[in-house]
Amino acid sequence: MNLLKTHISSYFLLISFLLLTINSFSQKDTINIIPFKITEEKAPPPYKTTTFDSISKNNATNLAELLSDNSTLYIKTYGSGSLATISFRGTGASHTKVQWNGISLNSPMNGQIDFSLFPTFFFDDAEVHHGASGLIDGNGALGGSVIMSNTESYNKGKSASLNQSIGSFGTYTTAVKGSYGNKSWFLETKLYNNIIENNFDYINSSKKGNPKETQTNADLKQYGFQQAIYRKFKNSSLGTRLWYFNSDRNLPRTMQESNNNENQTDVSLRALIEWKGLAKNLQYRISSGLVKNELIYDNKLANIYSENNSYFIDNNINTKLYLNKNFTIINDLNVKSENAKADGYNETHSRTNSSWLFGINKTIKRLNIDLFNRLIIVDKEVQPIAPTIGLKYQLFKKELLSVKANYGINYNYPTFNDLFWNPGGNRNLVTEKAEMLEFGLSTVKKIKKSILKAEITSFYSEVDDWIIWQLTEKGYWSPSNLKKVENKGIEGAFSLSTSISKFRINGRLNYAYTETTNKKSKNNADNSHNKQLIYVPFHKLNYGLNIHYKTISINYNYNYTGQRFTTSDNNWYLPANFISNTSIAKHFKLSPKTSIITSFKVNNIFNQAYQPIAWRAIPGRNYLLSLKLNLN
Amino acid sequence: MRKLLLITSIFLALFSCSKDELGPQCISCDENEVVTAINTDVLIINEGNFGSGSGSISLYKSLTKTVTNDVFNTKNGFPIGNVAQSAYQIDNKGYITINNSSKIEIIDINTFASIGTINGFNSPRYFLPINNSKAYVTDLYSNSIQIVNLSTNSISGSIAANGWTEELILHEDTVYVCDMTNDNLLIIDPVTNSLIDSVKIGESPNSLVVDQNNKIWIMCSGGFGSTSPQLIKFNPLTRSIESTFTFPNLSDSPGNLKINAAKNQLYFINQNIIKMSIDANALNSSPFITNNGNIFYGLDINPINEDIYISDAIDYNQNGAIFRYSSEGTLLDQFTAGVIPGHFLFVN
Repeated sequence: MNLLKTHISSYFLLISFLLLTINSFSQKDTINIIPFKITEEKAPPPYKTTTFDSISKNNATNLAELLSDNSTLYIKTYGSGSLATISFRGTGASHTKVQWNGISLNSPMNGQIDFSLFPTFFFDDAEVHHGASGLIDGNGALGGSVIMSNTESYNKGKSASLNQSIGSFGTYTTAVKGSYGNKSWFLETKLYNNIIENNFDYINSSKKGNPKETQTNADLKQYGFQQAIYRKFKNSSLGTRLWYFNSDRNLPRTMQESNNNENQTDVSLRALIEWKGLAKNLQYRISSGLVKNELIYDNKLANIYSENNSYFIDNNINTKLYLNKNFTIINDLNVKSENAKADGYNETHSRTNSSWLFGINKTIKRLNIDLFNRLIIVDKEVQPIAPTIGLKYQLFKKELLSVKANYGINYNYPTFNDLFWNPGGNRNLVTEKAEMLEFGLSTVKKIKKSILKAEITSFYSEVDDWIIWQLTEKGYWSPSNLKKVENKGIEGAFSLSTSISKFRINGRLNYAYTETTNKKSKNNADNSHNKQLIYVPFHKLNYGLNIHYKTISINYNYNYTGQRFTTSDNNWYLPANFISNTSIAKHFKLSPKTSIITSFKVNNIFNQAYQPIAWRAIPGRNYLLSLKLNLN
Repeated sequence: MRKLLLITSIFLALFSCSKDELGPQCISCDENEVVTAINTDVLIINEGNFGSGSGSISLYKSLTKTVTNDVFNTKNGFPIGNVAQSAYQIDNKGYITINNSSKIEIIDINTFASIGTINGFNSPRYFLPINNSKAYVTDLYSNSIQIVNLSTNSISGSIAANGWTEELILHEDTVYVCDMTNDNLLIIDPVTNSLIDSVKIGESPNSLVVDQNNKIWIMCSGGFGSTSPQLIKFNPLTRSIESTFTFPNLSDSPGNLKINAAKNQLYFINQNIIKMSIDANALNSSPFITNNGNIFYGLDINPINEDIYISDAIDYNQNGAIFRYSSEGTLLDQFTAGVIPGHFLFVN
């Protein structure tokens, strides 16, 4: 009987908590919002999203690490500090679209993102939109989208922080941040410098007797800055952000090579101007972004020096019209002008990539309906129908258990390299198409001081006309719409936060099972039909545990990546690896306005040797000591 | 709490590594050691995917029609290296040029045991024994042809070239080399290790053979579709082109020029397998063996029985297919070798 009582009371607590959370969530999207805290990135309720707490963000050095350790997304990394590309629900590296404050960042040249080039220091929030919800962010997201955003904090006065880290293998990272906010201005400056020698030891399993060797030619230098200037008016704000990032790295050889001399420089400049606000029941955001990327690849051995320049202008008008509390109409207009000039093209290429997203979001009692369509015009090609529909239904009146279902179609356009690279570029390529289906259950429970969130999602998608580069009889590589791929799987996400006496405990777990199979064969001898695509692990699991006691915080993170095949006939695989990282941090309050946080992190505690990609080395156990000074 | 512990331990059990495996692992590779039989067995050199894959050697026993893959790794416990380009036999030794690993691996041709490594190359392509103590090696990037001392297994010198040098042959004490970069045929005196002459031929010469009339046939692929490919008949005595057969289409991409044991029939790949008499007055366009949807990648003719071996690399990322035909063009066998099978060595 007592038990029942506690259950009932916990239910009441839960419900009141839910109401609170619902309110605080919906506040982001309804007219009740504080006009200057508009969170654009939230995907509608029927879709699976992944968000990251500040603990996860602080523990990751860059976006690649953040996603790899705290989401179901598979990051394919060539090693420490090296190129890191993504596979989201089994799709390819150009099938995940990445945005920063509403501007898309994917290179128009290859459609990809190197996730190692985005230090977490430069953004405040990150969010992952799984599957069909990527359509709401833009076209081309056949796996989903990753959103980075910054926020403006007015009325906070002056504050500054200095973070210095020293780590194994010659790691020195300096991050300085200064900000000022009064009731009408917000200014923020971020400076970043990162040097890694990367001269770690590894086991060379490609050589006789598996000798221990030291990694060479893997050093990198990164620096960058970000500036924000915002002016707040009565019901709107006008602001600009500028982000410059420079990365210069040597590319290490594989274990099977004896000499190489490759270097890659990436220079990016991203500028954004935005005006956002609320006019009666219309929330609007008008923005224009410029992204300029320069990539220089230098291979002294092969005598290749290749310079690649691209820039694009991304203009957006986003509106949300709140007809009433339960009915919203969304209109987003996007006009993007993409330009690229590379040593691999004979001329500069340009195209206009525009689209109009129209959507409605309606809540009928416990049912939430979302309906969107994106009309896409790329050059003169019109694609009028790219829809997605999503439903979320709360099963019981008093319990936060919901079923979610959604369906969508999205198109990914061939990149400039696909079309124009000389030799090989293929102007006859057609658009890649994905049809996506998702079904899930989610729940939130609050029991006493504990909050438990659980979500399980199953997905199915078909990607058709997938563009693949293959060697031609002429001896060069050329893309064609070769593949048809079926992706299906399950994603689970659980999180628990609780307090036991003076200990605050946060735990989270993500798991994904991904089956991604090739549905087309080239000829009778082709053994890749119905096989798992290469470098897509069936299993990916990570969990994190954070214990906070007074001024001490201890963090543990476990990341499991299952076996993945390295050949398309699934005859060769890389064994599974599981990496544990741990850190301890202590907060010292020096004065009411000054504090110091020291932290010590051990990566790969169990010193596991593995290869993220065949014959690519990664460091064993390594350490990072950080000191952060906060001035308010 | 106990439940939590249970779940955690189940997870740990599920997601723990059972074996101490490092690097790529093979699911269906033969683990039995095999021994080569002379005159009947064929080594298939599989390049392996550039950068990420390993080259490998397959042993095909033509009498029993059995194939054993990855024989070098099985014998030695490590992969041969990245991009196994070509192989040659001197007595009971095999010399395998490993392109991206910048080395030549020397194996015991019977057991596949690694018996030596010649290092210091840049990107070795083809190997040619000049005499018992000397060999030449062409290179993709080093701007030279390397001279190898076969007694010490080291590079003893080089002959300057300008760019990519490809296939080479020794004919009547003179070496003829395909110069891919400059569209030349380089003529080298192997006694003095010096360049005697270079003759302009068609664009991108990739392979060459000598016929029974002592004429050199050179296949020029035409580059990346910039000029029409050409098959050239070269007279080494006059050092001049005797005939030029120009392919009709820019999209033609002929390569892998081979000749039969009698040295009177040319074979090459141009989508299909083309067979052409050395006395022909025009290019033969009708296929001798049609590809049936396969993409022919490697070709060679067994000098003993003139069986024709053809490979298909399929998607360049899986075990490739080998087709063995009789000299009459009848399919005798079809089997699977390693990733990107490109070169055949008929053991004698």
